[in-house]
Amino acid sequence: MRFWISSACAFALAVLAAATLKNEYYFFAGYTVLMFVVLATAWNILGGYAGYVNFGTPAFFGLGAYTAVVVFKATAAPLVVQILAAAVMSGLLGFATGLLTLRLRGIFFAIATIAVTVIMETLFINWRYTGGATGLQLLRPAPVWPFESYITMLFVVMAAMTVAAIAIARYIETSWIGRGLRAIRDSEEAAECSGVSTLKLKVFACAISGALMGAAGAPMPMYLSFIEPASTFNLNYAIGALASPMIGGTAHYLGPVIGAVILSTIQQVVTVTISSELNVLVVGVLLVVFVVAAPEGILGLVKKLFPRKKP
Amino acid sequence: MKFQKLLMAAVGAFALSSAALAQQPIKVGMSMPQTGSLGAGGKAALVALQMWVEDVNAKGGLLNRKVELIAYDDQTNPALTPAIYTKLLDIDKVDLLIAPYGTVPTAPIMPLVKQRDLLLMGNFSFQVNRTVKHDKWFNNSPWNDASSWSDGFILNAQKLGSKTIAFLAADQEFAQNLANGARELAKKAGLKTVYDQNYPPTTVDFSTMIRAIRSAKPDIVFVMSYPNDSVAIVRAVNEIGVGESVKMFGGGMVGLQFTPIMSTLGSMLNGIVNYNSYVPGMKYPGIEDFLSRYAKKAVEAKVDPLGFYLPPFNYAIGQMLEQAINATKSLDHKVLAAYLHKNEMKTIVGPIRYGPDGEWANPRVVQAQFRGIVDKDIEQFRQPGKQVVLSPDAYKTGDVMAPFEKVRK
Repeated sequence: MRFWISSACAFALAVLAAATLKNEYYFFAGYTVLMFVVLATAWNILGGYAGYVNFGTPAFFGLGAYTAVVVFKATAAPLVVQILAAAVMSGLLGFATGLLTLRLRGIFFAIATIAVTVIMETLFINWRYTGGATGLQLLRPAPVWPFESYITMLFVVMAAMTVAAIAIARYIETSWIGRGLRAIRDSEEAAECSGVSTLKLKVFACAISGALMGAAGAPMPMYLSFIEPASTFNLNYAIGALASPMIGGTAHYLGPVIGAVILSTIQQVVTVTISSELNVLVVGVLLVVFVVAAPEGILGLVKKLFPRKKP
Repeated sequence: MKFQKLLMAAVGAFALSSAALAQQPIKVGMSMPQTGSLGAGGKAALVALQMWVEDVNAKGGLLNRKVELIAYDDQTNPALTPAIYTKLLDIDKVDLLIAPYGTVPTAPIMPLVKQRDLLLMGNFSFQVNRTVKHDKWFNNSPWNDASSWSDGFILNAQKLGSKTIAFLAADQEFAQNLANGARELAKKAGLKTVYDQNYPPTTVDFSTMIRAIRSAKPDIVFVMSYPNDSVAIVRAVNEIGVGESVKMFGGGMVGLQFTPIMSTLGSMLNGIVNYNSYVPGMKYPGIEDFLSRYAKKAVEAKVDPLGFYLPPFNYAIGQMLEQAINATKSLDHKVLAAYLHKNEMKTIVGPIRYGPDGEWANPRVVQAQFRGIVDKDIEQFRQPGKQVVLSPDAYKTGDVMAPFEKVRK
């Protein structure tokens, strides 16, 4: 109950900000932070709970973005339909990737997910309907009532998606699915011997993680009013999605949220203050610091520093 | 008495606030790729814009106010530019906007400026206003449509009495757009296509394609390639040769304008006819002075030491804003846009007049032939005659030399 009240309060805060703040910059920056929260939460389902390191975030994110573009261009469908279509397509890609690659483990799985990103990027570079390598400019439709600006609407939509993604991650973590995934992470053979259906669970985690990443990518073309393959399938999305749970902690659903908020906020500030590629360096330095000083992330560190007293 | 005091206080406050406003600088905001794939060009362009700011402030500024340039690094990442421009407008409260260098970082900010009805000075982008149709967009680049890149090349091919043409183009949208422009012009000129090959962007070995061109015996070869491909193609041509039939080779090879590539390839460039924005020897008022001052700044800033391709055009953006503001005595975007549409701009890259779509009404893409280039000498590129201007006619410094294999040696 406490989770739902907190989530409702956080979402209400986002709506209140949309209703009162007039400066659009905060919504542009806030949208990016929330998008990385969704990506990190999605990544953690497969990477954190099951221990399968996924570098293919840009593939799922990009497919979601391009699906939204195709749906919008072909049917002028509203944003909700674009998001649902993106989630379905990226979920299917996750399912297929899971079936084809989950027999691979460790570094081999990670390399295979990079290959998926390269395949997807090549596909869209050569598809002229979506603008090919040059990209495609999109004119945003009018915002839906009661929103006055499209970017404010996107911010609220992303806030809703963030709450949904965290709720899904929380459900997975606390249910039999999460227990199964954790068993896979600790020892896949032992889990199999104990009756855990490892392949089914891994494919499910891959599909749900992909679907959430695709949903996070769907509003991106409208956020930018533009789409092109090089930036859409940029490896920075993979780094951000991977680094946030590492910094926040992979064991709990709040870990990626904390990590993404800290990391993305720092990156947003660095971009417009120090103004250089230092924001990528920030990710690297934070990753090294946390891997060395707090391998279980901020949540692990807090647990270590303030252990719960045993009853 | 009380009323008089109140009135005096109000007048005093007004005078003070007016004085304060007069002392506030005019803020010009932009994002510029300073890292990422366009970073090297972006840094050099930024040096030129800073030079314009220093020059205009040395003359007392604009409207009796100093000019301040606020530039953020967009890392050549279009995902960052909408937030940066919103910050420039809503937090930094800039008065004027300049677009980032390049098409991709510019495209996402077009709807933003259209929605807010703002003036935007474009910076070497290609047809970003085609969909948006913003009436306050002014792109500073010497081309307008796809055919403007290659018409000088085809024209010179005709002068040489060419009958056949070969095409070699990267299989990417941008390269294909330009190559299609050249294909149309070649068709109109009655040139028969004897070889037409698109290659995947990941190609590193061009020897088979160069051999195929050689056996097709074309009169001219039009190449539309990206920097890495351009280097590989020039090296392949240097090793294999394209045959005695070829009168002209080049056209749309991106990268052969960049100092590091020019100095790396050295004598291998001889004979190639290729597009450019400016080469030494072209008589634009003030450009030589700019380039000599730029050369010193470039050494300090550790950027492109020659700076022919992009920096003069960025300085010219500042000059256009300066001319429009001084003439209209206004910072109102509507007034400035109306002035820019109606009047010819005098810049260090020549006179510029804008068409209704915000692109140059008279494109001026230079086609120049490399001649007498030796290896490992950057300074040689500062001399007129190392790149002989073949077109446009108004800036011509020589006639095309053919055949290609003879000029190459």
